[in-house]
Amino acid sequence: MRSRPRRSLIPVAAVAASALVLSACAGDSEPTATGPTTGGTLVYASGDAEPTCLDPHVGGNYPQALLATQFLESLVSRDAEGEIVPWLAESWTVSDDALTWEFTLADGVEFTDGTPFDAEAVKVNVEHLQDPATQSSTGYLAVEKVASVEAVDDLTARFTLSEPDSALLESLSQPWLAIESPAGIARGMEENCESPVGTGPFVVDSWAKQDRVTLTRNDDYSSPPADALHDGPAYLDGIEWRFIPDSASRYAALQAGEVQVIDNVQPDVLVQAEGSDSLVELDAPRPGSSNRIELNSGKAPFDDVAVREAFIRSVNVDDAVSSLFQGTAERSFSPLASVEPAAYSDDSLFGYDLDEANTLLDEAGWSEKDSDGVRTKDGERLTLAFPVSTNQSIPAEVSLFEQLQAGAKDAGFDVQLDLLDLASWYAALGANDYDLVSAPYTKVGPDVLRILYHSDGIVPAPSGYFANHAQVDDTAVDALLDEASATLDEADRAALYEEAQADVLEGYYILPLYDQQNHFLLSTSVHDARALGTVSTPSFAAAWLS
Amino acid sequence: MSGSRAQAIVRWTARTVLRATVVLWASATLVFFITRLVPGDPAEAALGGPGSQASEEALDAVRQRYGFDQPLIVQYGIAMLALLRLDLGTSYALRQPVVQILADTVPGTATLAVLALLLAWAMALALTLSHTRSSRAGAAIGDTVEIVASAVPHFWLATILIAVFSTALAWFPPVSTGTPAGLVLPVVTLAVPIAGFLAHVMRGSLDEALSAPFATSAVARGETATGLRFRHALRHAALPALGLSAWAFGYLIGGAVVVETIFARPGLGRSLLQAVTVRDVPVVTGVVLVSALVYVILTVVTDALTRIIDPRIGIVTR
Repeated sequence: MRSRPRRSLIPVAAVAASALVLSACAGDSEPTATGPTTGGTLVYASGDAEPTCLDPHVGGNYPQALLATQFLESLVSRDAEGEIVPWLAESWTVSDDALTWEFTLADGVEFTDGTPFDAEAVKVNVEHLQDPATQSSTGYLAVEKVASVEAVDDLTARFTLSEPDSALLESLSQPWLAIESPAGIARGMEENCESPVGTGPFVVDSWAKQDRVTLTRNDDYSSPPADALHDGPAYLDGIEWRFIPDSASRYAALQAGEVQVIDNVQPDVLVQAEGSDSLVELDAPRPGSSNRIELNSGKAPFDDVAVREAFIRSVNVDDAVSSLFQGTAERSFSPLASVEPAAYSDDSLFGYDLDEANTLLDEAGWSEKDSDGVRTKDGERLTLAFPVSTNQSIPAEVSLFEQLQAGAKDAGFDVQLDLLDLASWYAALGANDYDLVSAPYTKVGPDVLRILYHSDGIVPAPSGYFANHAQVDDTAVDALLDEASATLDEADRAALYEEAQADVLEGYYILPLYDQQNHFLLSTSVHDARALGTVSTPSFAAAWLS
Repeated sequence: MSGSRAQAIVRWTARTVLRATVVLWASATLVFFITRLVPGDPAEAALGGPGSQASEEALDAVRQRYGFDQPLIVQYGIAMLALLRLDLGTSYALRQPVVQILADTVPGTATLAVLALLLAWAMALALTLSHTRSSRAGAAIGDTVEIVASAVPHFWLATILIAVFSTALAWFPPVSTGTPAGLVLPVVTLAVPIAGFLAHVMRGSLDEALSAPFATSAVARGETATGLRFRHALRHAALPALGLSAWAFGYLIGGAVVVETIFARPGLGRSLLQAVTVRDVPVVTGVVLVSALVYVILTVVTDALTRIIDPRIGIVTR
């Protein structure tokens, strides 16, 4: 029975990820064991923001990925062990210079509008992502190193890269790079946003804004990923994908039996649901970065590594996490999510030690204290601006930051928490008005380290966005990340990423907290739902209702 | 005589329309500058929301398309000219005409608001009539109920109602499903605070009216206690409450943001919340204009109703 998996959650990717399959629990708790039954509509209640466009090529965020997983498919997937496995591409080869990749595509697959899936479709999709008119953000970045795609024959697509990219397969596995029907794309953005056409187990039937997206079964479905639980058309007649933004209402709807699956389950609800024999939890932490507080090393006072270490030593994260998340989140000591096989942890750097923090600050010249107990140096107060996005940080996390603020006060830090809406928060980051920030980043594979810690990431994108919030500017880290990007050998690549992670941790640039929380609650009437090993979105391709 | 009356009506109408236009223009202007002066780039609304990493070309295309490359005052002029043509523009984020978004969401919110206002009036009347001139203890209970009801926050009340009537008793669905049963909890949530407020105001005036000399003379003419309350005093008591109903409607639109989110109902409030989050200026402007328009219309209507109920105020005077 793994309805409460969190006690046994071990931060080893293989174990955590394989625990994502739910079938075992439902089988144990109910004596039916008659096997899957066809029919029925699953009602899913999402607490994520409603997408403004269902085509994940446009923009490219997590709410789009959640929905796209039900009706779009990618060239490759990633299994529970973190291995890239075939999906719409059956196999691939890469040239010795790592600049030419040839993908052999699955034969006989059709999009749900009848268009055949072929190499030309792959070419059209990559070009769609690269076209500025598509307004792609996530997918566009992921195919930045792809110079061109050529349809060698119907079932062979050749990617030519401008420079080697060891993350290419991981990038292509993401729902934001899913392959859509060229005829669907040709309808234009407005129509394609309403009902993108893919090869997946379900089809978008209709979208009632602010209410629900109705998905129906693709009766001709034939292209599951290599690690699928089931390989024909879905058992479900369809999915009603509802948008219920309030956490308590979502849980009430689940209890009332109006919906069978809810996402964005908050710690208080997880605790309430504990012990229920009609609900099962699916804990599917997102890949990419861990949730961590980044310390802005690009300006005073955190340009001094001793002050960074002092801050990290002054806050008791373990106690705060266990009291506020009530055992639903495991502490992390890594820049990467625990589902990443390349994740490297070092808990020895993050022990709570107020005396050590005080000594470090004294030695760093922050030896005076003003009447409020805040340390000063040359008349400057030791103030830390901490803008917090209420869209990205759940209430428990905001409370966690408040507890850390109180802890840091004991060492003489004046942490200024500022709760902001998303647009204001990004504006504060863009203006370099922060010393601390929490900004998780979801991406498949360790290449997220390049985005977050390469000095290139300090330079803002045209929109003002930049990802290296810790402003790590270290030629050694840059060199490791560049080399890892060009290294296809898995073991060599992992070793390089491990070294880069060690540098980031030992430089006290970040304070890891926990994985990006991604909890689902399912009624026990839902069987064989699972989270994909890519961006941990749930798939109902094999699900059935009892 | 009748000529001057007609003239007065024309003058009153002209003045009312002018005032309404000024209110709408001021609302649109405030919204335009507030949404543009707070941090955040509306161009990103069209590129997947704040934090977009879109390319320079994509960003340029969007800025050019929506005129963000023009000086703010020019953008303002363009926006106001469009409003004069009743063109509310296209949502940056949803890529739909704002008029269509409003057409889709107004009916849901209007249903909610009208039902909530009716229920609030019913509850307020019941509270008023049952507690006026009652014993000191009765009056104290009435006071407490009214004050607590008018002060209770929507989000708290909604959560309690869901916990009691959905989760525990299973009488009503926790999320609005489009069935009449789904309307009950959201309507009650919105109605309770307004009912408390209306009842408090009404009971004060009713007490006053019942002590007035005309009440004594009515009783002297043989009017019963019930008849006195319904036929005479209530008319006086309802006047200030009626004036407050227009204000209450504005309060309902604000409450709709919370209630529609908690009960997952499609509506104006949720559109507004989503639009503000991503700086989707045309949608914010559209929702605010609709709210302002409704507010203006209700003010005019309650004003007219007041004149009908209270014959002392003629249409010509003031």
